[in-house]
Amino acid sequence: MTSPSRTMSNAAVYLGLAVGAVITLVPFGLGLLTSFTSARQFNTESPLSLPSPPTLANYTGLADAGFGRALVVTALMTAVILLGQLVFSVLAAYAFARLEFPGRDALFWVYVATLMVPATVTVVPLYLMMAETGLRNTFWALVLPFMFGSPYAIFLLREYFRTIPNDLIRAARVDGASTLDVIVHVVLPASRPILVTLGLITVVTQWNNFMWPLVITSGSQWRVVTVATAGLQSRYDGQWTLVMAATTVAIVPLIVAFVALGRHIVSSIVVTGLK
Amino acid sequence: MTAKSHAARGGDTVVLKPKFSTVFAATLALIFAVLMVAAVLLGHTGGSGGRTVVTVRLWDEQVAAAYRQSFEEFSREHPDIEVRVNVVAYKSYFDTLRTDVAGGGADDVFWLSNAYFAGYADNGRLLDIGQTLGPGTARAWDRSVVTQFTRNGVLWGVPQLTDAGIAVYFNADLLDQAGIGLEELLRLRWSPGNGDTLRGLLARLTVDADGNPAGTPGFDPGRIRQWGYNAANDLQGIYLDYIGSAGGAFQDGDRFAFDNAAAQQAFQYLVGLINDDHVAPPASDTNDNGDFSRNQFLSGRMALFQSGTYNLAAIADQARFRWGVAMLPAGPTGRVSVTNGIAAAGNSATAHPDAVREVLAWMGSPQGNRYLGVSGTAVPAVIAAQPAYFSYWAARGVDVTPFFKVLDGPHIPAPGGPGFAAGYQAFKPIFDEMFLGRRSVADSLAAAQSAANAAAER
Repeated sequence: MTSPSRTMSNAAVYLGLAVGAVITLVPFGLGLLTSFTSARQFNTESPLSLPSPPTLANYTGLADAGFGRALVVTALMTAVILLGQLVFSVLAAYAFARLEFPGRDALFWVYVATLMVPATVTVVPLYLMMAETGLRNTFWALVLPFMFGSPYAIFLLREYFRTIPNDLIRAARVDGASTLDVIVHVVLPASRPILVTLGLITVVTQWNNFMWPLVITSGSQWRVVTVATAGLQSRYDGQWTLVMAATTVAIVPLIVAFVALGRHIVSSIVVTGLK
Repeated sequence: MTAKSHAARGGDTVVLKPKFSTVFAATLALIFAVLMVAAVLLGHTGGSGGRTVVTVRLWDEQVAAAYRQSFEEFSREHPDIEVRVNVVAYKSYFDTLRTDVAGGGADDVFWLSNAYFAGYADNGRLLDIGQTLGPGTARAWDRSVVTQFTRNGVLWGVPQLTDAGIAVYFNADLLDQAGIGLEELLRLRWSPGNGDTLRGLLARLTVDADGNPAGTPGFDPGRIRQWGYNAANDLQGIYLDYIGSAGGAFQDGDRFAFDNAAAQQAFQYLVGLINDDHVAPPASDTNDNGDFSRNQFLSGRMALFQSGTYNLAAIADQARFRWGVAMLPAGPTGRVSVTNGIAAAGNSATAHPDAVREVLAWMGSPQGNRYLGVSGTAVPAVIAAQPAYFSYWAARGVDVTPFFKVLDGPHIPAPGGPGFAAGYQAFKPIFDEMFLGRRSVADSLAAAQSAANAAAER
């Protein structure tokens, strides 16, 4: 039987969580409602008014503003970077975790140290590189800086790979497995949770990337969702109803991905926690 | 299992089965190839058919639609030139333009506003319009815009749009409720001393939740349901015009020079309207929300809204009350308005100078420029193309003459110079504090001018 003090303490905890949930979720709800509100109603009534009547005009307005293309560009960019980052990060992390070569550890820590460098520091040299090679405002400019692995991914994978029992790898080697065989048959199956987690982090990071696409592209051809959303605001009008429709559309794929793959994130946390 | 051992075990039959890891790697490569093909297809813009392609960059989607129609007609007359319109959002327009011009990737023609063109002109990034199109061409264009884009005796852009002057939108229903006639509105005068009629009228138009007008016993400034006016930290719509109407200056050449007695009077008056008289929304609502006052007006909660033609379409489309436009209040030295314009500048690094010259000539011609006025969203800067704009609004029953009549008198120059953007970023936070009433006007102007000039010189 639960004691009264424990009941009170549980109630307090749940109350705190409820308040936190409300603070977190209300902005999303407000954004969703605003996306169904006409511009006229939004400008002439309280921003908290319910849409009356609800309208899809903001969503059709997105189509007119070329938002569909921005979605396709962003999805394609994210897919390419995801594939590239996973492939190259896995290869690099395995090398740092399991291969022996001179300067391995020093090289690893130098690479990880680049995590401390703010992205804004590398924007200018990267831009100049793209401009000099004629890649400015192209799809390659969006993906090349990010598709060859990331220090964060390599660090995370390297630590995870080191927890895989060496006996498994030695057994595979005895069977005649090459390095690629070991990675494909032993390491990757054992690393599913962390790979899914990294994949989700990469997808979210690249989907929400704003500064680099803003700098390296111009116009509507290679605009991504973040830049397209910001571009909905004109010089003299915030166009908030359109912006809310855009953010609603932009967030749906991320929510779907998280719901579909969330359990893998939990299991990766559990596994690393037990270790 | 390797292909070799499998073949060996197969006896007479040799079956080469690829390793799983090979298949895995090949699958990844195939997925990557498919994604690359998709990217190439997405990037396919269609060939130019051997024509010269000229790109034009601007920030307004509605005007871009008008330009596309204009350039269709242009291409019929110039079948060897194709013009492509590139719309870049205003928020990032000047940041990305700067990087693109520096990186050699800017469009052949791009829009510039007065506040941002000087740096490009000084660094030789723009075409000299007089040399490109001929010295007499400017006579066909709005004089104020030509002046704005003339620097060191050279015109650096083809005027495209003018904002005309600033006027006052009024809610006729609220004026009727307060017993205020149009004649009274037209005689409005602001003054730091005697002769002021604006404050009293605004007090009658400002009402709290219990219906008490401002300045009457029982008026609660914490519960205002109707504002009289939109005094605020608004450069173009409000304080530049007040500075001009007080006989002051905002800039002296490229230097910020708003720390002067007349400008102090103007700012003191505006801050007083907000924080002492409570006839305008608090600066906490308006400092960082440029739409706030307009939306208060549209929702029928503000009687007078001083602004430019850039809000005309929104008000005409969304106002649910009777409204009109009147001249802005006169100040100690009369009615003085700012006027702003936009020009199309030629990129001096363009690979197609002859085609760009043709396009610029078209954009500066009545045939090319009139498309921008037919939908009423913008005032063409080519004088012969302006009737389209007036016709549109006349057909809708809106008298837009106050925006233009105010320019018959003196103007205050629109701000600019190569350091304007940096200077603006430096003085805006200080002005925010001033309008909030947290800092005295005299201190604020002195500090802001010093900070702005220091930032502009960097």
